[in-house]
Amino acid sequence: MKYLGIDLKKPKIGVFDFTSCEGCELQLANKEETLIDFLSLVEVVNFREISSDQSDNYDIALVEGSISRRDEIDRLKKIRAKARVLVALGTCACFGGVNHLKNHFPLKEAVREVYGENSVDTGKVKRVGDIVEVDLEIPGCPVSKAEVEKIVVNIVTGAEIKFPKYPVCVECKQNLNTCVLDLEKICLGPITRAGCGAVCPAAKAGCLGCRGPAEDANYESLIRIMQEKGFSEFLIKEKLDFYNAFSGVVA
Amino acid sequence: MSQKIVIDPITRLEGHGKIDIFLNDQGDVEKAYFQVPELRGFEKFAEGRPAEDMPQITPRICGVCPMAHHMASTRALDDLYKVDPPASAKKIREMVYSAFMIEDHALHFYFLGGPDFVVGPTAPKAERNILGVLGKVGLEVGKKVIGMRKELRELIVLAAGKVIHPVFGLPGGVAKPLKKEDQEKFIEGADNAVEFAEFSLQVFNDIVLKNKEYVKAIVSDTYTHKTYYMGLVDKNNKVNFYSGDIRMVDPNGKEFAKFAPRDYLEHVAEHVEPWSYIKFPFLKKVGWKGFIEGADSGIFAVAPLARLNAADGLATPKAREACDQYFKTLGGRPVHHTLANHWARLIELLYAAERMQELANDPDIIDPQPRTIPVNIPQEGIGVVEAPRGTLFHHYKTDNRGVIKKANLIVATQNNAARIAMSVDKAAKGLIKKGKVNDGLLNMVEMAFRAYDPCHGCGTHSLPGQMPLILRIYDNHGVMKHEIRRE
Repeated sequence: MKYLGIDLKKPKIGVFDFTSCEGCELQLANKEETLIDFLSLVEVVNFREISSDQSDNYDIALVEGSISRRDEIDRLKKIRAKARVLVALGTCACFGGVNHLKNHFPLKEAVREVYGENSVDTGKVKRVGDIVEVDLEIPGCPVSKAEVEKIVVNIVTGAEIKFPKYPVCVECKQNLNTCVLDLEKICLGPITRAGCGAVCPAAKAGCLGCRGPAEDANYESLIRIMQEKGFSEFLIKEKLDFYNAFSGVVA
Repeated sequence: MSQKIVIDPITRLEGHGKIDIFLNDQGDVEKAYFQVPELRGFEKFAEGRPAEDMPQITPRICGVCPMAHHMASTRALDDLYKVDPPASAKKIREMVYSAFMIEDHALHFYFLGGPDFVVGPTAPKAERNILGVLGKVGLEVGKKVIGMRKELRELIVLAAGKVIHPVFGLPGGVAKPLKKEDQEKFIEGADNAVEFAEFSLQVFNDIVLKNKEYVKAIVSDTYTHKTYYMGLVDKNNKVNFYSGDIRMVDPNGKEFAKFAPRDYLEHVAEHVEPWSYIKFPFLKKVGWKGFIEGADSGIFAVAPLARLNAADGLATPKAREACDQYFKTLGGRPVHHTLANHWARLIELLYAAERMQELANDPDIIDPQPRTIPVNIPQEGIGVVEAPRGTLFHHYKTDNRGVIKKANLIVATQNNAARIAMSVDKAAKGLIKKGKVNDGLLNMVEMAFRAYDPCHGCGTHSLPGQMPLILRIYDNHGVMKHEIRRE
């Protein structure tokens, strides 16, 4: 049996980081209690956070971070050429993430602000999918380890990989949380893909949409509600722009 | 001598640690330069965003210590909106922050810096890692460390929503009150943490302090610098991680200055070197005199060693006792031995656990209204906390809607940058002679900066012995003679 071109056997997996905070990798490494079980499913051949072993022979490449330098582009293309399945891991890889905020400024200005007249190799922040073909996107800032584990298990067993189509709002309601919009905070829960367990609204913080658009989201309705609540156009746009996850989806 | 090292302004992660060593005619070290990639691109792209987003934007600088940025940012927002959070909110924040400190310090001791000592500085590279540590102290200890860190992370989730990129800090308080049953979990976790901290100090005592060779290395001149020290202190001049005034002591341990965070620019300035993208903070009133130590040089240090030096001890009983023993063993205050950071870190771990215990038992923790709503018009705010790796400054200026016009961050590792550079230079000069370089020497040079636990994402979260590092050695004509890479 094959799934995404992979035989049903212990796949070799490599984890790679680009421009990011490494939080997604840490998320995978941190939960030590399931790490051993997780590692028994796959053969890790490249995961700098937890092991010094490195090999260029892998079936699955988990790629964290967005792409902002020429050498990153070259490295990503090499990984793509070797990997049979390339997974964009986390919000930076899927959408650009917080790093993309740099794109709002002329590059020269950003460099000068930080490094004066010294030149540095840096470009517009791009998504992994802007550079190479991506087989699977796992969003989240950081990713949910439970979800990544479930997906890897599905890859190994050949089961279908499904993300919730419904929004975070549904999970939040199921958890009987107080609605964050009712607390007079902007919340993108109604338009953001579920799967995180609504952790931010559960902590009474508005969802910033790190998991990107839900499939049946009603954008107009949410924007109307936020306008009715008196949030300015600037604030609404700014929240939608936070991770670059809604660009091209919402005007 | 002007080998230029390029570090991307946004990613720290592809920036490997870089040490450039220049040799003279005799093959001895002329000068060694150490680079830590810096993170300051974030200051630019914060401009134009609402200040309320800063506790969400800035943790994303670094997945290693997001809580430190979240907390510094939240405290900067308190100051920005001139709002004094209720006592309950301050206690919840400090309790959660203490849990984070324990988790982070434990990570460093057992996984990152500790292996140098627990396994041994000259042990083969392959053994200087967590597995080597477990081999030495036993699997049971490993389970204990894993269990403790898991429990602490679950507690952080309970109060702060997420461990990586927490969401609970708001200007004037915290987003979510804690319930009675949450409090009970915190009390239990804190009790376990105190026991864990005492146990960790015992491990250090048995393995390091009882080994004369190790003690000799700690107090050796190679790893010693007489500098100023900085740390946050409470009103009794005891160490505090969450709030207080900034206290500086001179190389003799005497108070040099004590000031409120909002006055930091009167005391701290930044020096620029042509070979580095890091700006080196120094004491304005002493001045920048180059990479030299002593009372006439404005170079100062932060992080555990510095914090214990800059305060008059610790506020909790068990940690106080451990701290007394530390100064007694190392010849009184201040302690100038860089490698003593490892010991100081464990004493802080015990303090954080005891502090967490005190706060968890405080009835205010379950106040249903842990927030004061801000009503003032924002203009400028400064927030300072002690990150695990040292004093962390967040400084924002906004328009009257609270939109960021200017942001300045001085991160902990930057505060230590000048002293780290001196440490690496001194270690290289002391260890590399007549052009001879080997793996053991490289580790001894690395140890000089690993003790600071530089927040260098790739470095801090790679196992020691395999810290991504490029070391290049140049002859007197600037020609590269050796390159050692650890990817």
